[in-house]
Amino acid sequence: MLLLPQALVDGLLIGGIYITIAIGFSLAYGVMHIIDFAVGEWIMLGAFLGLYLSQWTQMEPLLLLPVVFIVFGVLGYLFQPVIYRVLSGKKGNPLLMALVFTFGLAIAFKGLGLTVFGFFSRSIPSAMAANSFTFVKGDFFVTIPVIRLIGLVYAIGVTLVLSWILKRTDFGLAIQALAQNKEAAGLMGISAKKTNSWVYGIYVGISAMSGVLIGCMFSISAQMGSKYTVLSFFVVVLAGMGFLAGVPWAAFLLGMVQSFFLIYFDPGYTLLAVFIILYTVLLISPKGLFGKGV
Amino acid sequence: MTEPILRVDGIVKTFGGLHAVNDVSFDVGKGMIVGLIGPNGAGKTTIFNVISGYYAPTRGKVFFKGSDISGLPPYKLAKMGIGRTFQVVKPFPGLSVLENVMVAALCKHPRKHDARQHAWEILEFTGLASRADDAAASLTLPGRKRLEISKALALEPELLLLDEVVAGLNPTEADRTIELILKLRDQGISILVVEHIMRVIMNISDQVVVLNFGQQIALGKPVEVARDPVVIEAYLGEEAA
Amino acid sequence: MRRGILAFGLFVGVMALVPAFVQNAFVLRIVTELFMWIVLAITWDVMAGYAGYLNFGHGAFFGAGAYVTAILMMRYGWPFFVTLPVAGLFAGVAAFLAGIPTLRLKGAYFAIATWALALAVQQLALVLDITGGPDGMRLPPFLDPVFFFYLILAVAVATFLLLWVLLEWAPFGLKLKSIREDESGAMALGLNPARIKVQAFILSAVPAGVLGGIYAFWITFIDPASVLADIITDQAMVMAVFGGLGTLLGPVIGAIIVFSFKTIFWAYLSDYQVLYLIILGGGIALTVVFLPNGIWGTIIGHIQGRNALHKGMSLNMPPGRSPVQGADVND
Ligand SMILES: Nc1ncnc2c1ncn2[C@@H]1O[C@H](COP(=O)(O)OP(=O)(O)OP(=O)(O)O)[C@@H](O)[C@H]1O
Ligand SMILES: [Mg+2]
Repeated sequence: MLLLPQALVDGLLIGGIYITIAIGFSLAYGVMHIIDFAVGEWIMLGAFLGLYLSQWTQMEPLLLLPVVFIVFGVLGYLFQPVIYRVLSGKKGNPLLMALVFTFGLAIAFKGLGLTVFGFFSRSIPSAMAANSFTFVKGDFFVTIPVIRLIGLVYAIGVTLVLSWILKRTDFGLAIQALAQNKEAAGLMGISAKKTNSWVYGIYVGISAMSGVLIGCMFSISAQMGSKYTVLSFFVVVLAGMGFLAGVPWAAFLLGMVQSFFLIYFDPGYTLLAVFIILYTVLLISPKGLFGKGV
Repeated sequence: MTEPILRVDGIVKTFGGLHAVNDVSFDVGKGMIVGLIGPNGAGKTTIFNVISGYYAPTRGKVFFKGSDISGLPPYKLAKMGIGRTFQVVKPFPGLSVLENVMVAALCKHPRKHDARQHAWEILEFTGLASRADDAAASLTLPGRKRLEISKALALEPELLLLDEVVAGLNPTEADRTIELILKLRDQGISILVVEHIMRVIMNISDQVVVLNFGQQIALGKPVEVARDPVVIEAYLGEEAA
Repeated sequence: MRRGILAFGLFVGVMALVPAFVQNAFVLRIVTELFMWIVLAITWDVMAGYAGYLNFGHGAFFGAGAYVTAILMMRYGWPFFVTLPVAGLFAGVAAFLAGIPTLRLKGAYFAIATWALALAVQQLALVLDITGGPDGMRLPPFLDPVFFFYLILAVAVATFLLLWVLLEWAPFGLKLKSIREDESGAMALGLNPARIKVQAFILSAVPAGVLGGIYAFWITFIDPASVLADIITDQAMVMAVFGGLGTLLGPVIGAIIVFSFKTIFWAYLSDYQVLYLIILGGGIALTVVFLPNGIWGTIIGHIQGRNALHKGMSLNMPPGRSPVQGADVND
């Protein structure tokens, strides 16, 4: 009971990071209609870039976030046409093949990570990692590590910027048009190819940045990818595939699940719990907690 | 009077706030052709989807040979003897024309050999036999419409629902298809047919149901319906203009 | 078809003679393992090629089968052969339960759910006592390579025949393919897609489970890092995609090529094991881009020319349209 406030706050703080990942992912899904199985690998690669950059430049890793975003944004932008090519293929079942393709990417990236970074777990040293606030009230107390607070602020910031872009800019309108109806968007003169590339770039950049934050809070390793892929799926499926407004709630729920298992149960059961919740949602309300997915 | 093959009783189907079909009732008697007409968006395809089990009706009931079939899934209805075509054709593009029809024939002929034989007969009847080994993807629109009919027929249905199988065909092909429909009727199959082309509906139907904005605005013999001022205003007038 | 049966009989006959001529235990082991991969690849293809659903958790059935056999033998003293049907049954029931909610949905959900299932099973094996947790389980050594060779060969032949009968000879395969091509259209023809897909899923899971059981007894030591490793699904998938989806021979050919490559790679470059992952992943991505019908699919395509489209070459969509665009073909 004494730990309850801490568990809730932790859940909120952890959940924040999943919001950004899942929003980028949902966005990419919205316009391209494919699931990117490499999402966890983008996170992993981003985390390692952050690690090496901060070691090399001796700079605070959090200040390097924009660099990581730009590097991976460009990578994603350049990469997307290949996926587009698979998706618009004339042979085979393009949708199936696109899934196979991103899955292949995930395997290759994992291999790349293992080759370059080895098998060990690391963490990204941030000056912020040591500090924390503690609130005490009677028997209750809550500790808030500064780095996690920064993570939440970052998540909210990214979410706000993205929703501003989506709602207020021409580019955002183009994205929405594409998500709703490809043909009609084409008639309106929106180039699906270009917009897709931009969206994919943004999504990859955000995922990589989030990887750096994850690295500052938890540990990173070349094998971390599939865990984060599944957690991203969890959030997106719970929110309802393509339903952006549901993402924060689902992300916070995941954060809560994680923090409760960490504090009250065995963290080894977290992934099991995640699967059971996912399965239950698919069984009862396949369109997500809010019934608004596609 | 004998029991009708199909009785549609007060069907309502809403999508959100939209009443796509609003209180429609009619019968299809054995061996009859009933035409279902109405302007674009009148709710014709939606009625088909309700009858064939793709949508559950919001209100109302559908009876097939006297038993209530409302809400049953499409595959059960197909087995019971309701065959349908799709306005937006649904071939299995990667399978051959013969295989497409075989899938349907398997419903009444569980052995592959028998199903193949039956599918051949159907293809010969519908005039697609020469394309039997080609991929369904290689058919042009008239071929695809013919394939739709062939697949529905291969179920050996008692009731056939045809959704715009003539639309988009050139006059010769259209005539062939109409001939086909009449032949099927002569074999005792009851047919509910949606078509925009007046000439077709008026010539072949025993009864006509007219829809407008989901409402049933007329029901009767083609000649009576054609003279009905409400119908003329809602639908025929538009054509004449 | 008669030629096919002849070739198949000849192949099995030659294979059955291998132990008589090959005394080298290493080589025998390699060939045995090859048959194991053939089974994993063709059963994976049941879902991907015939039903159009990607199963990212196929290895979980294999691993579950391995654990069933190990647990029944070690904890309950069952004889080996009696555990195998249970291993298969267990995998089948798991497929049934996992398939029911997910196979009603779009393919992406199934892919995600099977992936999550695989991770959950790994996690479960790590935390349970009965599985020995991360320490795994040791089985009584039964060091008879020839016995395992014949057993796995028998499973491979039986699986191949079963799949051939069900998917190519009996109507089931045609029904499955029609659902892959257009699910709602298939419903109008009397097919219940949910049911047929779950049946296919069970069909793909059971042989993998049985195989896992045999593998546990053969290797005599199992742990989550070996029998539940991601690489099992990854590799089966690469084999099937590389060989050609939606055919029975494609995955067999893919398995032979990929497994030969793996063996050579492992033998000469064992210091660079992780490089193998890059090649595997990169290879599958390149195959998708440049050879979407796989090797066998492409060969058949050339032989049969335009007719290839419908000769069970599967997965071919009408030119110029993809389901991604969501539009129905209506030129
Ligand atoms: N699945 C659906 N969801 C929402 N609205 C739908 C759906 N299906 C049909 N509608 C709407 O219901 C109304 C009736 O459509 P329906 O397709 O039945 O018309 P129709 O008479 O077949 O027209 P047409 O002659 O163009 O084929 C239309 O306004 C349509 O937009
Ligand atoms: Mg219509």
